Amino acid sequence: MKKEIGNDVKLGLFVLSSILFLILLLYMIGKNKNFFGSNLKIRSRFENVQGLKAGNNVRFAGINIGTVDVVNIIDDTTLEVSMNIEDKMKDIIKANSIVSIGTDGLVGNKVINIQAVKERERHIEQNELLPSRRAIDTDEMLKTLNKTNKDIGIIAENLKNTTNKINNSHVIWDLLSDKSIPKKIHASLENINQSSNKIKTLLNHSNEIVEHVMSGNGSIGLLLYDTIMRANLFTTIENFRILGKHANEISKQISYTLDSFNNDLHNSKGTIHALLNDSLLTHKIHTSVDNIDRSSSGLNEIIDAIKQSFLFRAYFRKIEEKKTRGLK
Amino acid sequence: MDESLSLKPFLKETGKVSKFTIRYLSKWFLPPYEIKELIRQCYVIGYKSLPLVGLTGFIMGLVLTMQLRPFMVEYGVESRLPTIVGIAIIREIGPVITALIFAGKIGSSIGAELGSMKVTEQIDAMEVSGTNPFKYLVVSRVFATTLMLPVLAILSDAIALYGSYLGVNIKGETSFKLFWNQIFEALEFRDVLPAYIKTYFFGFAVGIIGCYKGFFCEKGTEGVGQSANASVVIASVLIFILDLLSVQITELLGFN
Repeated sequence: MKKEIGNDVKLGLFVLSSILFLILLLYMIGKNKNFFGSNLKIRSRFENVQGLKAGNNVRFAGINIGTVDVVNIIDDTTLEVSMNIEDKMKDIIKANSIVSIGTDGLVGNKVINIQAVKERERHIEQNELLPSRRAIDTDEMLKTLNKTNKDIGIIAENLKNTTNKINNSHVIWDLLSDKSIPKKIHASLENINQSSNKIKTLLNHSNEIVEHVMSGNGSIGLLLYDTIMRANLFTTIENFRILGKHANEISKQISYTLDSFNNDLHNSKGTIHALLNDSLLTHKIHTSVDNIDRSSSGLNEIIDAIKQSFLFRAYFRKIEEKKTRGLK
Repeated sequence: MDESLSLKPFLKETGKVSKFTIRYLSKWFLPPYEIKELIRQCYVIGYKSLPLVGLTGFIMGLVLTMQLRPFMVEYGVESRLPTIVGIAIIREIGPVITALIFAGKIGSSIGAELGSMKVTEQIDAMEVSGTNPFKYLVVSRVFATTLMLPVLAILSDAIALYGSYLGVNIKGETSFKLFWNQIFEALEFRDVLPAYIKTYFFGFAVGIIGCYKGFFCEKGTEGVGQSANASVVIASVLIFILDLLSVQITELLGFN
Protein backbone atom coordinates (compact mmCIF):
# COMPACT_ATOMS: atom_id res chain seq x y z
CA MET A 1 0.00 0.00 0.00
CA LYS A 2 2.78 2.38 0.98
CA LYS A 3 4.65 1.52 -2.16
CA GLU A 4 1.57 2.11 -4.24
CA ILE A 5 1.19 5.62 -2.82
CA GLY A 6 4.84 6.27 -3.61
CA ASN A 7 4.21 5.13 -7.14
CA ASP A 8 1.19 7.41 -7.43
CA VAL A 9 3.30 10.37 -6.33
CA LYS A 10 5.93 9.53 -8.92
CA LEU A 11 3.25 9.20 -11.58
CA GLY A 12 1.73 12.55 -10.53
CA LEU A 13 5.13 14.22 -10.71
CA PHE A 14 5.75 12.65 -14.09
CA VAL A 15 2.44 13.78 -15.57
CA LEU A 16 2.65 17.23 -13.99
CA SER A 17 6.14 17.88 -15.32
CA SER A 18 4.97 16.96 -18.79
CA ILE A 19 1.91 19.18 -18.56
CA LEU A 20 4.06 22.04 -17.23
CA PHE A 21 6.42 21.75 -20.15
CA LEU A 22 3.52 21.66 -22.59
CA ILE A 23 2.01 24.75 -21.00
CA LEU A 24 5.36 26.49 -21.08
CA LEU A 25 5.77 25.57 -24.74
CA LEU A 26 2.34 26.87 -25.65
CA TYR A 27 2.75 29.98 -23.50
CA MET A 28 6.11 30.87 -25.04
CA ILE A 29 4.70 30.50 -28.52
CA GLY A 30 1.61 32.49 -27.56
CA LYS A 31 3.77 35.20 -26.06
CA ASN A 32 5.86 35.41 -29.20
CA LYS A 33 2.74 35.57 -31.33
CA ASN A 34 1.10 38.17 -29.08
CA PHE A 35 -1.91 36.09 -28.20
CA PHE A 36 -1.92 37.41 -24.67
CA GLY A 37 -2.46 40.94 -23.49
CA SER A 38 -2.13 42.70 -26.79
CA ASN A 39 -5.00 44.60 -28.25
CA LEU A 40 -3.29 47.59 -29.79
CA LYS A 41 -4.06 47.45 -33.46
CA ILE A 42 -2.40 49.58 -36.13
CA ARG A 43 -2.87 49.62 -39.88
CA SER A 44 -0.89 50.57 -42.94
CA ARG A 45 -1.59 50.50 -46.66
CA PHE A 46 0.60 49.09 -49.40
CA GLU A 47 0.44 48.58 -53.12
CA ASN A 48 2.17 45.21 -52.92
CA VAL A 49 2.78 43.17 -49.77
CA GLN A 50 5.24 40.74 -51.42
CA GLY A 51 3.92 37.60 -49.79
CA LEU A 52 3.40 39.03 -46.33
CA LYS A 53 0.89 36.95 -44.41
CA ALA A 54 -0.84 36.83 -41.08
CA GLY A 55 1.58 35.91 -38.32
CA ASN A 56 4.64 37.60 -39.78
CA ASN A 57 6.61 39.64 -37.30
CA VAL A 58 6.29 43.37 -36.85
CA ARG A 59 9.46 45.14 -35.84
CA PHE A 60 10.08 48.57 -34.45
CA ALA A 61 13.70 49.59 -34.77
CA GLY A 62 14.59 45.91 -35.17
CA ILE A 63 12.76 44.65 -32.08
CA ASN A 64 9.83 42.28 -32.45
CA ILE A 65 6.80 44.08 -31.08
CA GLY A 66 3.94 42.19 -32.65
CA THR A 67 2.56 40.24 -35.54
CA VAL A 68 0.56 40.81 -38.68
CA ASP A 69 -3.10 40.16 -37.95
CA VAL A 70 -4.64 40.20 -41.38
CA VAL A 71 -4.01 41.48 -44.90
CA ASN A 72 -7.13 42.92 -46.53
CA ILE A 73 -7.61 43.92 -50.13
CA ILE A 74 -9.18 47.37 -50.28
CA ASP A 75 -9.07 47.81 -54.05
CA ASP A 76 -6.90 46.73 -56.97
CA THR A 77 -3.98 48.91 -55.93
CA THR A 78 -4.40 49.10 -52.18
CA LEU A 79 -3.84 46.43 -49.57
CA GLU A 80 -4.38 47.11 -45.92
CA VAL A 81 -2.22 45.32 -43.37
CA SER A 82 -3.55 45.16 -39.80
CA MET A 83 -1.05 44.48 -37.07
CA ASN A 84 -1.37 43.56 -33.41
CA ILE A 85 1.40 45.15 -31.39
CA GLU A 86 2.32 45.36 -27.74
CA ASP A 87 0.30 47.82 -25.70
CA LYS A 88 3.37 49.52 -24.28
CA MET A 89 4.34 50.67 -27.78
CA LYS A 90 1.44 53.12 -27.58
CA ASP A 91 3.70 55.55 -25.75
CA ILE A 92 6.66 54.97 -28.04
CA ILE A 93 5.55 54.82 -31.66
CA LYS A 94 4.56 58.14 -33.17
CA ALA A 95 1.87 58.65 -35.75
CA ASN A 96 4.33 59.70 -38.45
CA SER A 97 6.43 56.52 -38.20
CA ILE A 98 6.96 54.86 -41.55
CA VAL A 99 5.97 51.26 -42.18
CA SER A 100 7.77 49.16 -44.76
CA ILE A 101 7.92 45.51 -45.73
CA GLY A 102 11.30 43.84 -45.49
CA THR A 103 12.84 40.42 -45.36
CA ASP A 104 14.34 38.70 -42.35
CA GLY A 105 17.81 38.01 -43.67
CA LEU A 106 18.37 37.48 -47.36
CA VAL A 107 15.85 34.70 -47.93
CA GLY A 108 13.92 34.68 -44.68
CA ASN A 109 10.34 35.46 -43.80
CA LYS A 110 8.75 38.77 -44.63
CA VAL A 111 8.70 41.24 -41.78
CA ILE A 112 7.08 44.61 -41.24
CA ASN A 113 9.51 47.30 -40.18
CA ILE A 114 8.25 50.39 -38.41
CA GLN A 115 10.74 53.20 -38.53
CA ALA A 116 10.61 56.31 -36.40
CA VAL A 117 10.91 59.73 -38.03
CA LYS A 118 12.78 62.44 -36.18
CA GLU A 119 9.95 64.90 -36.11
CA ARG A 120 7.50 65.94 -33.46
CA GLU A 121 4.21 64.16 -33.67
CA ARG A 122 1.57 62.72 -31.34
CA HIS A 123 1.70 59.08 -30.31
CA ILE A 124 -0.34 56.41 -32.07
CA GLU A 125 -3.87 55.55 -31.10
CA GLN A 126 -5.96 52.42 -31.52
CA ASN A 127 -6.47 51.60 -35.21
CA GLU A 128 -3.98 54.25 -36.30
CA LEU A 129 -3.22 54.29 -40.04
CA LEU A 130 0.51 54.75 -40.42
CA PRO A 131 2.15 55.96 -43.64
CA SER A 132 3.96 53.30 -45.63
CA ARG A 133 6.99 53.25 -47.84
CA ARG A 134 7.48 51.09 -50.88
CA ALA A 135 9.81 48.28 -49.96
CA ILE A 136 12.88 47.38 -51.91
CA ASP A 137 11.87 44.74 -54.39
CA THR A 138 14.39 41.93 -54.78
CA ASP A 139 13.61 41.63 -58.50
CA GLU A 140 14.26 45.32 -59.07
CA MET A 141 17.38 45.09 -56.98
CA LEU A 142 18.65 42.20 -59.09
CA LYS A 143 17.82 44.06 -62.30
CA THR A 144 19.80 47.05 -61.11
CA LEU A 145 22.59 44.77 -60.00
CA ASN A 146 22.67 43.20 -63.42
CA LYS A 147 23.00 46.58 -65.10
CA THR A 148 25.64 47.63 -62.60
CA ASN A 149 27.56 44.45 -63.27
CA LYS A 150 27.56 45.12 -67.00
CA ASP A 151 28.72 48.68 -66.43
CA ILE A 152 31.45 47.47 -64.12
CA GLY A 153 32.50 45.01 -66.80
CA ILE A 154 32.83 47.81 -69.35
CA ILE A 155 34.67 50.00 -66.87
CA ALA A 156 37.04 47.18 -65.99
CA GLU A 157 37.72 46.60 -69.69
CA ASN A 158 38.47 50.28 -70.23
CA LEU A 159 40.62 50.36 -67.13
CA LYS A 160 42.54 47.37 -68.42
CA ASN A 161 43.18 49.09 -71.74
CA THR A 162 44.25 52.25 -69.98
CA THR A 163 46.67 50.45 -67.69
CA ASN A 164 48.06 48.52 -70.67
CA LYS A 165 48.64 51.78 -72.49
CA ILE A 166 50.27 53.28 -69.44
CA ASN A 167 52.49 50.24 -69.04
CA ASN A 168 53.55 50.37 -72.67
CA SER A 169 54.20 54.11 -72.71
CA HIS A 170 57.91 55.01 -72.37
CA VAL A 171 57.18 58.66 -71.91
CA ILE A 172 55.25 58.20 -68.69
CA TRP A 173 57.82 55.81 -67.27
CA ASP A 174 60.63 58.22 -68.20
CA LEU A 175 58.69 60.96 -66.52
CA LEU A 176 58.15 58.83 -63.46
CA SER A 177 61.74 57.61 -63.26
CA ASP A 178 63.33 61.04 -63.83
CA LYS A 179 64.89 62.00 -60.52
CA SER A 180 65.42 65.66 -61.40
CA ILE A 181 61.72 66.37 -61.71
CA PRO A 182 60.98 66.49 -57.98
CA LYS A 183 63.83 68.95 -57.52
CA LYS A 184 62.49 71.11 -60.32
CA ILE A 185 59.02 70.95 -58.97
CA HIS A 186 60.41 71.84 -55.60
CA ALA A 187 62.24 74.84 -57.08
CA SER A 188 59.13 75.89 -58.97
CA LEU A 189 57.11 75.70 -55.84
CA GLU A 190 59.73 77.75 -54.06
CA ASN A 191 59.49 80.38 -56.79
CA ILE A 192 55.74 80.35 -56.64
CA ASN A 193 55.99 80.78 -52.91
CA GLN A 194 58.30 83.75 -53.28
CA SER A 195 56.11 85.30 -55.93
CA SER A 196 53.08 84.90 -53.80
CA ASN A 197 54.93 86.52 -50.92
CA LYS A 198 55.80 89.45 -53.15
CA ILE A 199 52.26 89.69 -54.38
CA LYS A 200 51.15 89.65 -50.81
CA THR A 201 53.48 92.53 -49.93
CA LEU A 202 52.31 94.40 -53.01
CA LEU A 203 48.73 93.87 -52.08
CA ASN A 204 49.48 95.06 -48.56
CA HIS A 205 50.98 98.24 -49.97
CA SER A 206 48.06 98.74 -52.32
CA ASN A 207 45.80 98.24 -49.43
CA GLU A 208 47.63 100.86 -47.43
CA ILE A 209 47.45 103.27 -50.35
CA VAL A 210 43.78 102.70 -50.78
CA GLU A 211 43.24 103.18 -47.08
CA HIS A 212 45.30 106.35 -47.23
CA VAL A 213 43.27 107.64 -50.14
CA MET A 214 40.03 106.68 -48.50
CA SER A 215 40.95 108.54 -45.38
CA GLY A 216 41.26 111.68 -47.58
CA ASN A 217 45.04 112.11 -47.43
CA GLY A 218 47.28 112.91 -50.43
CA SER A 219 46.37 114.52 -53.70
CA ILE A 220 44.03 111.83 -54.90
CA GLY A 221 42.41 111.67 -51.53
CA LEU A 222 41.95 115.40 -51.51
CA LEU A 223 40.64 115.25 -55.01
CA LEU A 224 38.17 112.57 -54.10
CA TYR A 225 37.14 113.46 -50.58
CA ASP A 226 37.99 117.18 -49.82
CA THR A 227 34.86 119.29 -50.27
CA ILE A 228 36.69 122.66 -50.36
CA MET A 229 38.99 121.39 -53.03
CA ARG A 230 35.98 120.25 -54.92
CA ALA A 231 34.37 123.67 -54.62
CA ASN A 232 37.58 125.29 -55.85
CA LEU A 233 37.74 122.88 -58.69
CA PHE A 234 34.20 123.70 -59.51
CA THR A 235 34.97 127.44 -59.53
CA THR A 236 38.02 126.84 -61.71
CA ILE A 237 36.00 124.88 -64.16
CA GLU A 238 33.41 127.64 -64.12
CA ASN A 239 36.14 130.15 -64.78
CA PHE A 240 37.40 128.02 -67.60
CA ARG A 241 33.93 128.04 -69.02
CA ILE A 242 33.74 131.81 -68.83
CA LEU A 243 37.19 132.04 -70.32
CA GLY A 244 36.08 129.81 -73.12
CA LYS A 245 33.13 132.08 -73.71
CA HIS A 246 35.39 135.11 -73.88
CA ALA A 247 37.79 133.27 -76.11
CA ASN A 248 34.91 132.52 -78.34
CA GLU A 249 34.02 136.19 -78.56
CA ILE A 250 37.61 137.12 -79.19
CA SER A 251 37.92 134.59 -81.91
CA LYS A 252 34.74 135.92 -83.39
CA GLN A 253 36.21 139.39 -83.39
CA ILE A 254 39.43 138.12 -84.86
CA SER A 255 37.48 136.38 -87.49
CA TYR A 256 35.57 139.52 -88.19
CA THR A 257 38.82 141.52 -88.39
CA LEU A 258 40.36 138.98 -90.67
CA ASP A 259 37.30 139.10 -92.86
CA SER A 260 37.49 142.85 -93.16
CA PHE A 261 41.21 142.62 -93.71
CA ASN A 262 40.64 140.13 -96.43
CA ASN A 263 38.02 142.30 -97.92
CA ASP A 264 40.28 145.20 -97.77
CA LEU A 265 43.01 143.24 -99.39
CA HIS A 266 40.89 142.31 -102.30
CA ASN A 267 39.41 145.68 -102.80
CA SER A 268 41.71 148.10 -104.76
CA LYS A 269 41.61 151.00 -102.35
CA GLY A 270 43.88 150.24 -99.43
CA THR A 271 47.66 150.47 -99.12
CA ILE A 272 48.17 146.78 -98.69
CA HIS A 273 46.15 146.04 -101.79
CA ALA A 274 48.36 148.48 -103.65
CA LEU A 275 51.43 146.88 -102.14
CA LEU A 276 50.36 143.45 -103.18
CA ASN A 277 48.58 144.04 -106.44
CA ASP A 278 50.18 147.11 -108.14
CA SER A 279 53.05 145.87 -110.30
CA LEU A 280 54.22 149.35 -111.08
CA LEU A 281 54.58 150.10 -107.47
CA THR A 282 56.60 147.00 -107.09
CA HIS A 283 58.92 148.06 -109.73
CA LYS A 284 59.24 151.43 -108.10
CA ILE A 285 59.97 149.90 -104.80
CA HIS A 286 62.57 147.75 -106.44
CA THR A 287 64.26 150.77 -107.93
CA SER A 288 64.03 152.63 -104.67
CA VAL A 289 65.56 149.79 -102.80
CA ASP A 290 68.36 149.61 -105.34
CA ASN A 291 68.93 153.25 -104.86
CA ILE A 292 68.91 152.96 -101.16
CA ASP A 293 71.37 150.08 -101.43
CA ARG A 294 73.65 152.09 -103.53
CA SER A 295 73.33 155.14 -101.30
CA SER A 296 74.01 153.12 -98.23
CA SER A 297 77.20 151.65 -99.67
CA GLY A 298 78.25 155.14 -100.51
CA LEU A 299 77.43 156.19 -97.03
CA ASN A 300 79.51 153.34 -95.67
CA GLU A 301 82.47 154.59 -97.59
CA ILE A 302 81.90 158.05 -96.21
CA ILE A 303 81.69 156.73 -92.67
CA ASP A 304 84.89 154.77 -93.11
CA ALA A 305 86.50 157.97 -94.38
CA ILE A 306 85.22 159.83 -91.36
CA LYS A 307 86.56 157.11 -89.05
CA GLN A 308 89.91 157.51 -90.63
CA SER A 309 89.89 161.22 -90.33
CA PHE A 310 91.77 162.60 -87.35
CA LEU A 311 88.90 164.77 -86.38
CA PHE A 312 86.67 161.96 -85.38
CA ARG A 313 89.21 159.22 -84.49
CA ALA A 314 89.22 159.97 -80.78
CA TYR A 315 85.47 159.73 -80.58
CA PHE A 316 85.33 156.27 -82.15
CA ARG A 317 88.09 154.96 -79.88
CA LYS A 318 86.07 156.03 -76.85
CA ILE A 319 83.12 154.08 -78.05
CA GLU A 320 85.29 151.00 -78.57
CA GLU A 321 86.59 151.18 -75.01
CA LYS A 322 83.10 151.51 -73.61
CA LYS A 323 82.01 148.41 -75.50
CA THR A 324 84.89 146.27 -74.21
CA ARG A 325 84.24 147.45 -70.67
CA GLY A 326 80.65 146.59 -70.94
CA LEU A 327 81.53 143.11 -72.06
CA LYS A 328 83.75 142.62 -69.06
CA MET B 1 0.98 -19.83 -49.23
CA ASP B 2 -2.04 -18.47 -50.98
CA GLU B 3 -3.71 -17.85 -47.65
CA SER B 4 -0.83 -15.72 -46.34
CA LEU B 5 -0.37 -13.69 -49.53
CA SER B 6 -4.03 -13.04 -50.24
CA LEU B 7 -5.85 -10.01 -48.97
CA LYS B 8 -8.43 -11.99 -47.07
CA PRO B 9 -6.56 -12.63 -43.77
CA PHE B 10 -5.42 -9.05 -43.71
CA LEU B 11 -8.96 -7.79 -44.14
CA LYS B 12 -10.17 -10.28 -41.58
CA GLU B 13 -7.58 -9.10 -39.09
CA THR B 14 -8.45 -5.48 -39.80
CA GLY B 15 -12.10 -6.19 -39.28
CA LYS B 16 -11.38 -7.93 -36.00
CA VAL B 17 -9.21 -5.05 -34.77
CA SER B 18 -11.95 -2.59 -35.73
CA LYS B 19 -14.53 -4.64 -33.86
CA PHE B 20 -12.19 -4.77 -30.86
CA THR B 21 -11.76 -1.00 -31.02
CA ILE B 22 -15.50 -0.43 -31.14
CA ARG B 23 -15.89 -2.76 -28.20
CA TYR B 24 -13.29 -0.74 -26.30
CA LEU B 25 -14.98 2.54 -27.14
CA SER B 26 -18.38 1.26 -26.11
CA LYS B 27 -17.07 -0.05 -22.79
CA TRP B 28 -14.79 2.87 -22.12
CA PHE B 29 -17.28 5.32 -20.61
CA LEU B 30 -19.47 2.76 -18.92
CA PRO B 31 -19.03 1.79 -15.26
CA PRO B 32 -17.45 0.10 -13.42
CA TYR B 33 -14.44 2.38 -13.64
CA GLU B 34 -11.21 0.67 -12.78
CA ILE B 35 -9.49 3.85 -11.58
CA LYS B 36 -6.97 2.15 -9.36
CA GLU B 37 -5.93 -0.24 -12.10
CA LEU B 38 -5.75 2.66 -14.54
CA ILE B 39 -3.38 4.58 -12.25
CA ARG B 40 -1.27 1.51 -11.73
CA GLN B 41 -1.08 0.94 -15.47
CA CYS B 42 -0.21 4.60 -15.99
CA TYR B 43 2.63 4.23 -13.54
CA VAL B 44 3.91 1.08 -15.20
CA ILE B 45 3.36 2.22 -18.76
CA GLY B 46 4.24 5.89 -18.41
CA TYR B 47 6.62 6.45 -15.53
CA LYS B 48 8.59 3.28 -16.06
CA SER B 49 9.12 4.11 -19.72
CA LEU B 50 10.54 7.54 -18.97
CA PRO B 51 14.21 6.52 -18.64
CA LEU B 52 14.17 4.70 -21.96
CA VAL B 53 12.21 7.41 -23.76
CA GLY B 54 14.33 10.13 -22.15
CA LEU B 55 17.55 8.44 -23.23
CA THR B 56 16.41 7.98 -26.83
CA GLY B 57 15.09 11.56 -26.91
CA PHE B 58 18.35 12.96 -25.57
CA ILE B 59 20.40 10.98 -28.06
CA MET B 60 18.12 11.93 -30.94
CA GLY B 61 18.43 15.63 -30.15
CA LEU B 62 22.19 15.45 -29.80
CA VAL B 63 22.75 13.31 -32.88
CA LEU B 64 20.34 15.23 -35.08
CA THR B 65 22.13 18.46 -34.20
CA MET B 66 25.55 17.04 -34.86
CA GLN B 67 24.43 15.42 -38.11
CA LEU B 68 22.82 18.60 -39.41
CA ARG B 69 25.66 20.92 -38.50
CA PRO B 70 27.97 20.22 -41.50
CA PHE B 71 25.21 21.00 -43.96
CA MET B 72 24.09 24.08 -42.08
CA VAL B 73 27.70 25.28 -42.06
CA GLU B 74 27.96 24.57 -45.78
CA TYR B 75 24.91 26.72 -46.49
CA GLY B 76 26.12 29.41 -44.13
CA VAL B 77 23.12 29.14 -41.82
CA GLU B 78 24.83 27.61 -38.82
CA SER B 79 23.13 30.13 -36.59
CA ARG B 80 19.75 28.65 -37.55
CA LEU B 81 20.76 25.22 -36.28
CA PRO B 82 18.69 25.46 -33.06
CA THR B 83 15.69 26.59 -35.07
CA ILE B 84 15.73 23.73 -37.53
CA VAL B 85 16.52 21.09 -34.91
CA GLY B 86 13.84 22.50 -32.62
CA ILE B 87 11.22 22.35 -35.32
CA ALA B 88 12.27 18.84 -36.37
CA ILE B 89 12.09 17.58 -32.80
CA ILE B 90 8.79 19.21 -31.88
CA ARG B 91 7.03 18.40 -35.12
CA GLU B 92 8.22 14.95 -35.97
CA ILE B 93 11.17 13.35 -34.24
CA GLY B 94 9.89 13.71 -30.68
CA PRO B 95 6.43 12.18 -31.16
CA VAL B 96 7.39 9.49 -33.66
CA ILE B 97 10.58 8.23 -32.02
CA THR B 98 8.89 8.24 -28.63
CA ALA B 99 5.91 6.34 -30.05
CA LEU B 100 8.17 3.75 -31.69
CA ILE B 101 10.16 3.17 -28.51
CA PHE B 102 6.90 3.08 -26.62
CA ALA B 103 5.49 0.52 -29.04
CA GLY B 104 8.62 -1.56 -28.67
CA LYS B 105 8.52 -1.51 -24.89
CA ILE B 106 4.81 -1.30 -23.99
CA GLY B 107 3.23 -2.93 -27.05
CA SER B 108 5.29 -6.07 -26.59
CA SER B 109 4.81 -6.16 -22.83
CA ILE B 110 1.03 -5.79 -23.10
CA GLY B 111 0.88 -8.37 -25.87
CA ALA B 112 2.96 -10.83 -23.88
CA GLU B 113 1.21 -10.16 -20.57
CA LEU B 114 -2.32 -10.52 -21.91
CA GLY B 115 -1.24 -13.38 -24.14
CA SER B 116 0.18 -15.38 -21.27
CA MET B 117 -2.92 -14.58 -19.21
CA LYS B 118 -5.08 -15.84 -22.04
CA VAL B 119 -2.97 -18.97 -22.54
CA THR B 120 -2.98 -19.78 -18.83
CA GLU B 121 -6.74 -19.10 -18.83
CA GLN B 122 -6.49 -16.39 -16.18
CA ILE B 123 -8.84 -14.28 -18.25
CA ASP B 124 -11.48 -16.93 -18.17
CA ALA B 125 -10.98 -17.30 -14.41
CA MET B 126 -11.40 -13.56 -14.04
CA GLU B 127 -14.68 -13.72 -15.87
CA VAL B 128 -15.84 -16.47 -13.54
CA SER B 129 -14.87 -14.45 -10.46
CA GLY B 130 -17.15 -11.66 -11.58
CA THR B 131 -14.60 -9.14 -12.78
CA ASN B 132 -15.03 -7.92 -16.29
CA PRO B 133 -11.69 -8.89 -17.83
CA PHE B 134 -12.16 -6.62 -20.83
CA LYS B 135 -12.84 -3.67 -18.57
CA TYR B 136 -10.12 -4.51 -16.09
CA LEU B 137 -7.38 -5.52 -18.51
CA VAL B 138 -8.05 -3.89 -21.85
CA VAL B 139 -9.78 -0.61 -21.12
CA SER B 140 -7.39 0.39 -18.36
CA ARG B 141 -4.30 -0.46 -20.45
CA VAL B 142 -5.46 1.20 -23.65
CA PHE B 143 -6.59 4.28 -21.78
CA ALA B 144 -3.27 4.37 -19.92
CA THR B 145 -1.25 4.18 -23.15
CA THR B 146 -3.46 6.86 -24.74
CA LEU B 147 -2.85 9.16 -21.81
CA MET B 148 0.80 8.39 -21.21
CA LEU B 149 2.30 8.61 -24.67
CA PRO B 150 1.58 12.37 -25.02
CA VAL B 151 3.11 12.92 -21.60
CA LEU B 152 6.18 10.93 -22.58
CA ALA B 153 6.41 12.66 -25.96
CA ILE B 154 6.36 16.10 -24.39
CA LEU B 155 9.04 15.17 -21.88
CA SER B 156 11.00 13.53 -24.65
CA ASP B 157 10.77 16.79 -26.64
CA ALA B 158 12.16 18.68 -23.66
CA ILE B 159 15.01 16.24 -23.16
CA ALA B 160 15.76 16.12 -26.88
CA LEU B 161 15.92 19.92 -27.00
CA TYR B 162 18.37 19.88 -24.12
CA GLY B 163 20.41 17.28 -26.00
CA SER B 164 20.29 19.50 -29.03
CA TYR B 165 21.49 22.44 -26.94
CA LEU B 166 24.48 20.38 -25.85
CA GLY B 167 25.01 19.32 -29.47
CA VAL B 168 25.02 22.92 -30.64
CA ASN B 169 27.55 23.78 -27.98
CA ILE B 170 29.97 21.01 -28.86
CA LYS B 171 31.41 23.03 -31.73
CA GLY B 172 29.64 26.35 -31.45
CA GLU B 173 28.94 28.79 -28.68
CA THR B 174 25.29 29.46 -28.03
CA SER B 175 23.88 30.58 -24.71
CA PHE B 176 20.87 28.71 -23.43
CA LYS B 177 18.82 31.88 -23.58
CA LEU B 178 19.65 32.44 -27.24
CA PHE B 179 18.94 28.79 -28.02
CA TRP B 180 15.63 29.04 -26.22
CA ASN B 181 14.67 32.27 -27.97
CA GLN B 182 15.65 30.96 -31.38
CA ILE B 183 13.49 27.89 -30.95
CA PHE B 184 10.46 29.71 -29.65
CA GLU B 185 10.75 32.43 -32.22
CA ALA B 186 10.43 29.84 -34.96
CA LEU B 187 7.80 27.66 -33.30
CA GLU B 188 4.14 28.24 -33.80
CA PHE B 189 1.01 26.62 -32.47
CA ARG B 190 0.61 24.77 -35.71
CA ASP B 191 3.94 23.08 -35.05
CA VAL B 192 3.12 22.00 -31.52
CA LEU B 193 -0.60 21.20 -31.48
CA PRO B 194 -0.90 18.69 -34.35
CA ALA B 195 2.23 16.94 -33.11
CA TYR B 196 0.79 16.81 -29.62
CA ILE B 197 -2.62 15.60 -30.71
CA LYS B 198 -1.27 12.83 -32.88
CA THR B 199 0.58 11.29 -29.93
CA TYR B 200 -2.80 10.44 -28.38
CA PHE B 201 -3.60 8.42 -31.46
CA PHE B 202 -0.18 6.79 -31.40
CA GLY B 203 -0.69 5.83 -27.79
CA PHE B 204 -4.15 4.50 -28.49
CA ALA B 205 -2.84 2.45 -31.43
CA VAL B 206 -0.04 0.90 -29.36
CA GLY B 207 -2.47 0.02 -26.58
CA ILE B 208 -5.23 -1.34 -28.75
CA ILE B 209 -2.93 -3.49 -30.89
CA GLY B 210 -1.09 -4.87 -27.88
CA CYS B 211 -4.35 -5.71 -26.12
CA TYR B 212 -5.94 -7.19 -29.22
CA LYS B 213 -2.97 -9.42 -29.93
CA GLY B 214 -2.78 -10.48 -26.31
CA PHE B 215 -6.49 -10.89 -25.80
CA PHE B 216 -6.85 -13.15 -28.81
CA CYS B 217 -3.65 -15.07 -28.28
CA GLU B 218 -3.73 -18.69 -29.38
CA LYS B 219 -1.45 -21.69 -29.70
CA GLY B 220 -0.06 -21.79 -26.20
CA THR B 221 3.30 -20.30 -25.17
CA GLU B 222 4.42 -20.03 -28.78
CA GLY B 223 1.46 -17.79 -29.41
CA VAL B 224 2.53 -15.47 -26.57
CA GLY B 225 5.81 -14.71 -28.33
CA GLN B 226 4.01 -14.30 -31.64
CA SER B 227 1.44 -11.92 -30.21
CA ALA B 228 4.16 -9.85 -28.52
CA ASN B 229 6.11 -9.67 -31.74
CA ALA B 230 3.07 -8.94 -33.89
CA SER B 231 1.82 -6.20 -31.58
CA VAL B 232 5.16 -4.36 -31.85
CA VAL B 233 5.34 -4.68 -35.63
CA ILE B 234 1.74 -3.73 -36.29
CA ALA B 235 1.79 -0.90 -33.75
CA SER B 236 4.98 0.52 -35.32
CA VAL B 237 3.55 0.38 -38.83
CA LEU B 238 0.31 1.86 -37.57
CA ILE B 239 2.25 4.73 -36.01
CA PHE B 240 3.74 5.61 -39.39
CA ILE B 241 0.37 5.30 -41.10
CA LEU B 242 -1.21 7.55 -38.49
CA ASP B 243 1.68 9.98 -38.90
CA LEU B 244 1.01 10.13 -42.63
CA LEU B 245 -2.69 10.64 -41.97
CA SER B 246 -2.07 13.37 -39.43
CA VAL B 247 0.20 15.34 -41.73
CA GLN B 248 -2.40 15.13 -44.48
CA ILE B 249 -5.19 16.20 -42.17
CA THR B 250 -3.19 19.18 -40.87
CA GLU B 251 -2.36 20.03 -44.47
CA LEU B 252 -6.04 19.86 -45.38
CA LEU B 253 -7.01 22.01 -42.43
CA GLY B 254 -4.37 24.55 -43.43
CA PHE B 255 -2.29 24.25 -40.28
CA ASN B 256 0.85 23.15 -42.03
